[in-house]
Amino acid sequence: MSDARQTDRAARGASGLAAGLTGAAHLAKPLLSFGFILAIWVAVTAAGLVPEQIFPAPLSVWQAAVEMAANGTLGNDLAVSLRRAATGFAIGTTLGVTLGLLTGRVALVRTLLNPFLTLLRPIPAIALVPVAIVWFGIGEGSKYFVISYTVFLTVWFNTHHGMQYIPDIYLRASRSLGASRMREFVQVVIPAAAPHVFAGIRLGVALAFLSLVAAELSGASSGLGYRLQEARQYIRTDRMFALLIILGVLGAVVDLVVHWIGKKLVHWQQG
Amino acid sequence: MTEGHVRVDNITIEFKGKQGPITALAPTTLHLAPGSFTALIGPSGCGKSTLMNAIAGFVRPASGGITLDGREITGPGKDVGVIFQQYALFPWFTALGNVKFGLKRLGLPKAELHDRAMAALEEVGLVQHARKFPQELSGGMKQRVAIARTFAFGPKVMMMDEPFGALDAQTRVVMHDLLIDIWQKRRATVLFVTHDVDEALLLADRVCVMSQSPGRIIRDYALDLPRPRSLRAQAETLLPIREEIISLLHPSHSSH
Repeated sequence: MSDARQTDRAARGASGLAAGLTGAAHLAKPLLSFGFILAIWVAVTAAGLVPEQIFPAPLSVWQAAVEMAANGTLGNDLAVSLRRAATGFAIGTTLGVTLGLLTGRVALVRTLLNPFLTLLRPIPAIALVPVAIVWFGIGEGSKYFVISYTVFLTVWFNTHHGMQYIPDIYLRASRSLGASRMREFVQVVIPAAAPHVFAGIRLGVALAFLSLVAAELSGASSGLGYRLQEARQYIRTDRMFALLIILGVLGAVVDLVVHWIGKKLVHWQQG
Repeated sequence: MTEGHVRVDNITIEFKGKQGPITALAPTTLHLAPGSFTALIGPSGCGKSTLMNAIAGFVRPASGGITLDGREITGPGKDVGVIFQQYALFPWFTALGNVKFGLKRLGLPKAELHDRAMAALEEVGLVQHARKFPQELSGGMKQRVAIARTFAFGPKVMMMDEPFGALDAQTRVVMHDLLIDIWQKRRATVLFVTHDVDEALLLADRVCVMSQSPGRIIRDYALDLPRPRSLRAQAETLLPIREEIISLLHPSHSSH
């Protein structure tokens, strides 16, 4: 093998390695963070500073997760909770986008609804649970109500504000091209507001998971939030930790998916 | 050509200010003959874009009236096309989609809509880029799409607000030729707002000069010269006018 060939190959190997490293670097940072926290966790629990029942070791948490998976509760809880979050999210987003487009576009609707909706925004989801139970009982209805209410307000707020920031020049261009108000709305206003709408939807997803736990406090017999409550009764902190980690991972994964879909749909927003 | 007669009669335009209304345009009268090409030049902030926006129907005059072929202009519409300095292309549509948007009100069958949009893009030399999104195109290409989009649906009047102001010198020269070419074929009435004296002299049949704000038209030159023009070849006529306009625009810098 000639020297030239050898250096060429070495160079290619090096660049391949570099590409692999930059790819790994994306993962490396979060992994470093998780590793760091895990190390502290192991150290604290191994040192025996805190009783295992108050602050369980990582291994106990893992075993609790495996146990819940094995006896079937985890799969069932996941399915139930995801269905609640998804249903509440779908209702809230549909209402939020629709009403946001209306309050952004129609002055009368804006005058009638904006002050009221703005007043509702600071009310936390958990404060609604008593009302939800009275109105919808302890069935699925009260969960859907709490989740969709929270999602709705955020999605409405972002959609409404996105409508306020539509560059005037798009509307001028559309009108001088003889577009009807309906076509302007569908082909100019909605796409121009879409980046803001998607930002709202992404927040809505996060809120669906946040309010899920609050909703499941309104008397449930399954779901991740219910299982957390149950674990409290038996002081099973290992289960609590497992459930909290599962909630976190679930939320992060769904957020990534929604972000990816948003990037595909609102493709003109990059750069 | 008898259509596209614009009459701006004694209009004033005011904007709301913190201390009462601010006059953006002093009483102004301007008649644009059908199929003519008029350049409007003035210092920045003199109200030349405001006058253009009023003809386009975006701004209502506080007094006076604007008519197109005898009918009052009360808002933006299909008869007055507008070309913006910032292109105003819709980034969610391709070049082709942008041109189609302007043509849709004609209610053509799908195939014909497509063919006419493609023909309009061909006219500005962008057929190969029809499927690209605006953000994938250069500034000159974007403005070509905007020109195709606006001329395609056949407006009688064309308002152009410093359309080549953001382009480099070489691209401008190409765009000038392209614009004159299309205009000579379509013969819409053009009002071309610019702050570039040479651009006005090279393109227009008529150059109107506006004063500092509140603006009004202080000079009106007719340029009956063949195209394509050049400042060197037609120096005898163009250079004295050029000198005069420059001294009007920058009174403090003038040597007189």
